[in-house]
Amino acid sequence: MDEKITEQAAKENYRQEPKVGVYVCHCGGNISDVIDVKKVAEALSKYPGVVVAREYAFMCSSNGQDLITEDIKKLGVNRTVVAACSPSLHELTFRGVLQRAGVNPYLHEHVNIREQASWVHKLDKAGATAKAIKLAQAGVEKVLRKDALNAIRVAAEQRVAVIGGGAAGMRAALSAAGKGLEAVIIEKGPRLGGKLLELGKLYPSGEDGAEVVKKLENLVLAEKKISVHVGAEIDFVSGFVGNFKINFKKPDGRSEQVKAGAIVMATGYEHYKPHKGEFGYGEDANVLTLPEFVSLMKKLPGGRLEYGGREIKSLALIHCVGSRQVEGVHKPQADGKVNDYCSRVCCTAAVHTANQIKEKFPGVRLYDVYRDIRTYGMKHEEYYEKASKDGVLFFRHTETDQPAVTSDRTGHTIKVKDVLTWGEELEFKADLIVLVTGMMPSDISLIKSQLKLPSSADRFLQEVHLKLRPVELANAGLFIAGAAQYPMDSTEAMASAGTAAAKAGILLAEPDIPLEPFVAVVDEAKCTGCGLCPAECSYDGALMMAEKNGKKVAVVNPALCKGCGACAAVCPTRAINVAGWTLDQFDAMVEAIAKE
Amino acid sequence: MSNVEKIEVDALVVGSGIAGLQSALDLADQGYSVAIVEKNPSIGGKMISLSKVFPTLDCASCITTPRMASVSHHPRITTLTYSTVDAIKRENGVFTAAVTRKPRYIDEKECISCKRCEDVCPVYLPDEYEQGMGAKKTISIPFTNAIPQYPVMHPEHCIRCGACARACPKDCIEFLQEPAPVEIKAKAVILATGYETTPMTAKKQYGLGELPNVISPMAAERLLAPHGPYGRVLRPSDGMVPGSIAYVQCAGSRDKSIGVPYCSRVCCMYAIKQAILLSGSLPIADITIYYMDIRAFGKGYEQFYNNARAMGINFVKAKVARISEDEKHNPILRIERQEGTSAPEEVKHELVVLSQGLVPACDVSGYGLGSENNDFGFVKLSDETVSSAVTAGAGVFAAGTVKGPRDIPDSVVDAGSAAMEAVSYIRKL
Repeated sequence: MDEKITEQAAKENYRQEPKVGVYVCHCGGNISDVIDVKKVAEALSKYPGVVVAREYAFMCSSNGQDLITEDIKKLGVNRTVVAACSPSLHELTFRGVLQRAGVNPYLHEHVNIREQASWVHKLDKAGATAKAIKLAQAGVEKVLRKDALNAIRVAAEQRVAVIGGGAAGMRAALSAAGKGLEAVIIEKGPRLGGKLLELGKLYPSGEDGAEVVKKLENLVLAEKKISVHVGAEIDFVSGFVGNFKINFKKPDGRSEQVKAGAIVMATGYEHYKPHKGEFGYGEDANVLTLPEFVSLMKKLPGGRLEYGGREIKSLALIHCVGSRQVEGVHKPQADGKVNDYCSRVCCTAAVHTANQIKEKFPGVRLYDVYRDIRTYGMKHEEYYEKASKDGVLFFRHTETDQPAVTSDRTGHTIKVKDVLTWGEELEFKADLIVLVTGMMPSDISLIKSQLKLPSSADRFLQEVHLKLRPVELANAGLFIAGAAQYPMDSTEAMASAGTAAAKAGILLAEPDIPLEPFVAVVDEAKCTGCGLCPAECSYDGALMMAEKNGKKVAVVNPALCKGCGACAAVCPTRAINVAGWTLDQFDAMVEAIAKE
Repeated sequence: MSNVEKIEVDALVVGSGIAGLQSALDLADQGYSVAIVEKNPSIGGKMISLSKVFPTLDCASCITTPRMASVSHHPRITTLTYSTVDAIKRENGVFTAAVTRKPRYIDEKECISCKRCEDVCPVYLPDEYEQGMGAKKTISIPFTNAIPQYPVMHPEHCIRCGACARACPKDCIEFLQEPAPVEIKAKAVILATGYETTPMTAKKQYGLGELPNVISPMAAERLLAPHGPYGRVLRPSDGMVPGSIAYVQCAGSRDKSIGVPYCSRVCCMYAIKQAILLSGSLPIADITIYYMDIRAFGKGYEQFYNNARAMGINFVKAKVARISEDEKHNPILRIERQEGTSAPEEVKHELVVLSQGLVPACDVSGYGLGSENNDFGFVKLSDETVSSAVTAGAGVFAAGTVKGPRDIPDSVVDAGSAAMEAVSYIRKL
């Protein structure tokens, strides 16, 4: 490709005298409503080393990018500072601009004047503007001291490991194999299928969960590129993008290791387990969760609904058990937090179940106690409508007025302050109570701690950005499929898993993967071999002491180093630095900010 | 014909909204060549015209423009804008699409996007990008972030004064330009033709188009957008800053009477988002959302809803029967509360936004590719329990809202899996 040509051009460019272009973004008002962007650009245009400073509505747009390209071509700009949003959003965008224009992409500095100035100093426009100027000036000082770095390339295993063999895991493996990659499914349960195996008739297809599993399983088994390990207990996951190692125990007790270039986390969910006494659960045999009731219903013949040796003539569904919880109203979970999220699938599952009860056990009176009915899917509204038509009685309560269940010999009494009938407290009796429980993420604490995976406030895995990078974890090479990310139904998990495989496919499109060059670099002349730095390093094998040219020095493994800088902080001679983030650069930045 | 422009690619993507852009990128980044055909003059779809997006309140442009730029810079993606797909046929496993490039009446090869034609043009038109609230010139670049940055001339309004042709430094105005045929050959097709908001012609009692201060959610997006028509929120009838704003939920969803019985999935959240943005720009305004059920079901959505309530936005469970207006064009809503009292009452607001639902933008079954529609005109999947993108037509995949309403995060996720199905299919050919 022409990558070599660009590299050559970038090298030549770097040897020239530094010419900094500064670009101040309005962020469509996000910045310019508070910060006087013209003033920032003007101040920067006079700063030493700067040849041009401009402001524009959206620097990240094609027009904005073209402004930079033009300046590179016409004015010989060879280093850029973009003062805009957070670098997590668009630093890569601008590195791409430099690369395309033949400038080393790491000669760019992204200065965040949105989160760090305009958003936090809304009421102090002059102050925010002054701060933006200082931050941009510090950016110029930094970029002037930057080196033309090159991405570190590591060879990648052309294999995707999929942790979890439920619907999402199977789909991810199928899609990865469809792209020509090897895929390995590692499932802890005795067979493929995960939670779907337990479920009854699924909406909207009406098929049994096990039938859907069978279809996916047949596709998986027919695919030569997929291998499956069931009953596998993962005990150690290590490595980095392109070179992960997953060690697990097989059912026969033997250990096995899978090497993979990428990992798809398809670890799924657990049903919320009500605590003892929550609406009588665990104390009263006639209080079940929806999944428990669904497996019961699967086994029963139609006609009369019998449970515990007695006929059930009335049944009440209570929604949002373990979901949409409110602090101060609900008992917190083990980690001290309530589940304040909506579990997405339970409303449809509940009304779908209500319809099945009506069909299978026509004599049963049904009550449905809810806050909002969230039957959002294409055919889901029909279930709700059918349930209403078929005589299911709906009661709606507010978040603070939770329904209450009391039991005595005559059965269960449900008290609910029903907003649909003028907020009156209503009471009715039901023989069986079904708690419509939500979802919680599976316990994957071992993998999470070994790979240092991020979680959201809801404890599910945290994607990088809901819209820009929705199935990627912040850890390179790790992707999320299905309900490990957030509650979703199995059809939605198909989309999520397919996309996780697509991202793995993009990552492994070439035999080697470019890694960020921001790793520790040792100046061997300055290193005294004191050994302080390896003691601080948290990444196994990233930093060690070794003999080099007859001298004991620190040696970095760039593929394992995460660039955290802990080593640089303890070095007494400033011999170790993180490339792209050197102490000299920071000194100059501080100098620029502190200057009167 | 010998002068037909011919393009041969691995995959053809119809539509360049967020789903189409993302599927094209996910294909191209894996090494496949892609052609995108977009009927509008710019790529970006509906999303590029939005203000900010829920639940993170990122500005929509900040999320969309980089994707648009990546597509336009991608060495393996060819983009045809202002072009229509007239027919697609499949023979021996190869799709041949007949595409027409509509005339912009400029020479695209020569145009340098200097906007001088636009500056001198004397004829103003209502700007559809601004939902008719602003004005644009008869020859103009569609909007600031448009890609490509070519002006489009609307000959039906042009007075042939020739000012643009004289101003153009590159002599590229072509009054006599003709539509140009293009033939695209592809191995797979991804349908990503998206949605339109529910037409309100069947819901005349809500007064959209009749009552000036009853507006569409798309118009509200433009009012809230940083580069919107007025730069602030003003109501259409008299330019007054509205002090009391109402949202009517399920206006064109969950409503059998207009043929849209399904939930449109996004309206609760965009109404909440707009309400939050309005509270930011109009801190003293009263904002009320009339709803049936609040469906905040995505990641972070319930928390977003809770924030809106904490900010003082009123949520009233009520059905709105009809909307009229007083002599000052203040909309009057006749509502029936579904909580508390149930007697019908009339409430006056100064601006009303109808939270319109989503309907398919295009009947893709018309291409005759074997893909089927569901009862509501959205593309049906052949088996959604095993794949989220495979349609009944061989080699035909679907991404985004062409399959039914979904929000931006769900569309972005969906697009990747459509790309992946196309990859699997192409590799097996």
